[in-house]
Amino acid sequence: MIRIAAVGDLHYGEGSKEILRPGLQHLQDRADLLLLAGDLTRCGGPDEVKILADELRGLPVPVVAVLGNHDYHADREDEVRRVLEDAQVRVLEGEAVTIDIDGARVGIAGTKGFGGGFRGAHGSDFGEPEMKAFVGHTKMLSDRLERALTDLDADLRIALLHYSPIEATLEGERLEIYAFLGSYLLAEAVDNAGADLVLHGHAHHGVEKGRTPAGIPVRNVAQPVIRHAYNIYTLDPDRQALAAAAGGIS
Amino acid sequence: MTEPRPDYLPEAIREKLIHDPRVAEQDLRVEVQAHRVMLGGNVASPQLKQRITEVAKELLPDYEVVNETTVVPAAEPDDEEPVS
Repeated sequence: MIRIAAVGDLHYGEGSKEILRPGLQHLQDRADLLLLAGDLTRCGGPDEVKILADELRGLPVPVVAVLGNHDYHADREDEVRRVLEDAQVRVLEGEAVTIDIDGARVGIAGTKGFGGGFRGAHGSDFGEPEMKAFVGHTKMLSDRLERALTDLDADLRIALLHYSPIEATLEGERLEIYAFLGSYLLAEAVDNAGADLVLHGHAHHGVEKGRTPAGIPVRNVAQPVIRHAYNIYTLDPDRQALAAAAGGIS
Repeated sequence: MTEPRPDYLPEAIREKLIHDPRVAEQDLRVEVQAHRVMLGGNVASPQLKQRITEVAKELLPDYEVVNETTVVPAAEPDDEEPVS
């Protein structure tokens, strides 16, 4: 059984030191992998992410992350990424990584994702250049996610996002802001490529559990939602391999 | 800048709390009644809760600030969820 620890929206900044670290003390006994679903900083400052990186450095399990909208605010996302990578955190944007855990290949494809809305009410890349840029960004990231997931050669495949791929995990958020919380294009990418689990953050007032239209489990791991240092999800790589061999996703 | 009309004051406070780098929170609830500002939502630490009060008081020194935000716990989870 592969144990995935996941959390998003840590929003580290001045005064955040040691918020997470006490909760990570027994991580090695609880999980095989830690996934971070974006918004690791308050304003996207390299000094902010350094506080978190110092708490993640030397953790006994692999750590994989995507960035979130807050991590782009200072226009220094490349530096944020470098600080994390210096602490051995693998950062994904339209990319994938495969990690061997006790002989099982666990593949993670990650992207920040972006907004647009959901089926029947999604924005279109039509009209003003600003609108084309907004929806075009979501389309580009969704396409990259689908390619990264499709190209993964792994026993288990996980999509790691910041923005939500479905409406169900947004329940509790105001309907007016759904278009800024996620996009169905992300779910379509996952459903086209196939995956065993989708993780996202960003929706602080949402709920934890949902599924894509094709039935793939989705978990909103925004810290204000899970209210723990992380949540743990277990996946059976043998069961997934059997399901794939039988021609379906369980 | 023109001081916001009372009807628009909650949004002015919300914008300040989003853009002030000491806070940068997009999910806070802001209500204004008479000369009292009420703030709600989730925050990551007691320090951040304190900063929110400070920023609101700087913006509106003549208002009472009632900060009812909740510090979200970050302990280890009690159990795990079998997904498959």
